[in-house]
Amino acid sequence: MLKNTLKYSTVIGALVLPMSLVHAGGHSASYGPFPVTLQGYSGNKDNSVSYSGQVARHVLHDSLKVLAGRGNGGGNSASLKAEMLSYFSGSDKNKAILAPLTKGEFVIKQGTLDEISSGKNIEGKFYNGAMMAWPGSMKGRDVALHMIDRASIANKGVDAENGYNWPQLISKFTMGAMAYSQAVDNYLDEKLEANTKPNNKPYKDGAPYTGKEHVWDEGFGYFGAAAHTLSLTADQAYGIAKRKDMASADANGDGVVDLKSEMVFGPAYYAAAFDRSGTKSTSYLKTIMQAYFDGRQLISSAKGAVLTNVERSSLKAHASTIESNWEQVLAEAVFKYAGSAYKDINKMQEDGADEAKAYKGYVKHWGELKGFSMALQSGRNNLGETAGTMNDLILFGPVTLDNSYVTSVTSSGDFKREKRMTWNDYQLQLLKVQQLMVDKFSVTSRVNDQLADLGALAKMLGDQSNAETD
Amino acid sequence: MEYAEILNDFLSDFIDPKKRIFVGYLGLSLIIAYAWLIAVRNNTLKAAHAQIFNRKVFFSKSARIDYQLFFINRIFSLLISPLLVTQIVIATFIFYELHRQNIFHSGQFSNSNKTFVVAFFSMSMFIVDDFTKYFLHRWMHHWPILWAFHKVHHSAETMTPITVYRVHPAEGILYGLRSAVAQGTVISTFVFVFGNIVDLFTIVGVNILVFFFHMAGSNLRHSHISIGYWKFLEHVFISPAQHQLHHSVAEEHHDKNFGAALAIWDWLFGSLHLSETERSITYGLGENDSGPKTIGYMYIKPFVDVTRILVAFFKKTKKKPFKPRFRPLVSDGESAGSAPPES
Repeated sequence: MLKNTLKYSTVIGALVLPMSLVHAGGHSASYGPFPVTLQGYSGNKDNSVSYSGQVARHVLHDSLKVLAGRGNGGGNSASLKAEMLSYFSGSDKNKAILAPLTKGEFVIKQGTLDEISSGKNIEGKFYNGAMMAWPGSMKGRDVALHMIDRASIANKGVDAENGYNWPQLISKFTMGAMAYSQAVDNYLDEKLEANTKPNNKPYKDGAPYTGKEHVWDEGFGYFGAAAHTLSLTADQAYGIAKRKDMASADANGDGVVDLKSEMVFGPAYYAAAFDRSGTKSTSYLKTIMQAYFDGRQLISSAKGAVLTNVERSSLKAHASTIESNWEQVLAEAVFKYAGSAYKDINKMQEDGADEAKAYKGYVKHWGELKGFSMALQSGRNNLGETAGTMNDLILFGPVTLDNSYVTSVTSSGDFKREKRMTWNDYQLQLLKVQQLMVDKFSVTSRVNDQLADLGALAKMLGDQSNAETD
Repeated sequence: MEYAEILNDFLSDFIDPKKRIFVGYLGLSLIIAYAWLIAVRNNTLKAAHAQIFNRKVFFSKSARIDYQLFFINRIFSLLISPLLVTQIVIATFIFYELHRQNIFHSGQFSNSNKTFVVAFFSMSMFIVDDFTKYFLHRWMHHWPILWAFHKVHHSAETMTPITVYRVHPAEGILYGLRSAVAQGTVISTFVFVFGNIVDLFTIVGVNILVFFFHMAGSNLRHSHISIGYWKFLEHVFISPAQHQLHHSVAEEHHDKNFGAALAIWDWLFGSLHLSETERSITYGLGENDSGPKTIGYMYIKPFVDVTRILVAFFKKTKKKPFKPRFRPLVSDGESAGSAPPES
């Protein structure tokens, strides 16, 4: 009898406990809504979460990438450049969303940027420190503007002669120079200090959120994750970013995908992509999302009071988790695309290969490699020697079909290719890039690991300890 | 480490098909021994049984030392093996270096027939492994310093399958490094040239050729069951009797049959000796060689021998007046141009 009573009470307890935990938070594990905690707030809002400006910037970034591939070799350069700059630098109203767009059953709710947030641009939030990865010793914003200028005269975004794929370069660089940089080097860094945007005051007059609530929300917005990410698998998050998984995206079941809360953008997409591929041993998406969620919950729990030093320390620990995992995601991307470029070189050299097609793929992957390597250098951490080594290995431009590669840029923005390198030598450098990512960032997903076959065969043959003798 | 884990580690070689003393191979060796003694040697089952499970062999002082060494060497192995360079380190190094030449490019033959590549790789791995075993084994006998350590293995006066573990840890390190170099070289070269189609033909996770070597009674090499092959076959594969002859105290058998699986290396380099299955062979170092006889002595004696060898070498060097191998081009007060021509 006692045994049965214990059994039933255990079952009931097991069912009730998680429910009570969810209820205690007042909401499910979604990033919002969170209650208004601002003391003395007299408005009618009941949700203090707001990061639509960041979502707008992700959309600007996606749209800019589309535009970067619309050049016709110079004929439309002036108008195209103006249009690209309106997305990158402009604050003009009512710009159309060029991406992400509705795709089949995956229906996007918004059609213009104003429906998300008006007057936003990318340039104002773009990393503007030195960018030694690009020829010309420019600052981050100048590099982006140089890329936009070159994209406007390219044919479908590709400069085959110099080996540049502008949509990829602009997109991947922006993912770091805007999203990663703003999150880890601004909102989750100095804005967490006690005397900046305190929690007992509104972020700005009339706002329903406190200083720290909005700082944290803006930091979250740059990650580009759907609010309900904690209830998604990496596969589902990936499917949403690819506009293939409507069921997973439409959290509120209204039949449309709200870009402001239900979409997965670049940084979160790559976190999910590495979790679901390679060694499948990582959980970047969940780790980062949980840290954002826990941090937000901590701020809400302060109920509009100034955060204590202990609370801010805890918040900084969450910020540190976000930063280190995000940095690893970027390093995983560098690792992956170094491997892709290595494989593309093999393809180009295959007997009977369609060299032009293989070269196109190589240039695309190199653009992603270079863009992510620049993204990695746009964060809070000064990578120092690691950045120098990475840039020396990847080069300013890929080794092109005549084995030359870009070494400098003229004052008019044209590229000069004054050195040559064999394919074998460049492949060796790409292998070293992969090793650098392992040594310095401990990447573990390791998609396209060019040494994986060596490891697998060595494992198959067994260790050599106790080697038998005769 | 828990006791269960330690015990499991000690016994792991018996359940690992990559190891020679895997129970499956031991069982098969037993069947081969029975078949040989009954079908070829015309023994009764009872006589064959008595001969195979000869207490004088399995419980001899020599065999008991083998068993103790088996356990003690496992501890050495646990301590030493993490410090050794692995085949993956060597493979990575060579793979990198292969990019520095421009005769072949990475993945040059990646469109080759996969079956051919896998067969070629499995065969190459087996041959290179066996070839390097031959030469290291030969050097262990040829160089006095190495022989000081290898004598531990040859001090066995009765042989059982466990005698394969009667090895000084220093020799174990050398064989481990050999294995790393052989595997690392073959793996890296094949992956560089053939890309990701490289694979191994395996049975129970073991290179198919290694598997057949063990299936063919590799454990009988260290045993008292003297199985010889046809003469032509003993030029290709080392028979158990040929390896037993390698352990013989008879002078005419010294430095013969260094091969592990293949006899072709011995044949090519003049160290082949066909089996003499009718002749009774005494194993060990012989009366003139005071080989180690106790456990402690086994581990220490080689170092004593090496010290003696080195001391003798340096004494010999000291006695000789120093003579430069080449006349110096410039000596005190003499210009290079004025040096008289050598007669």
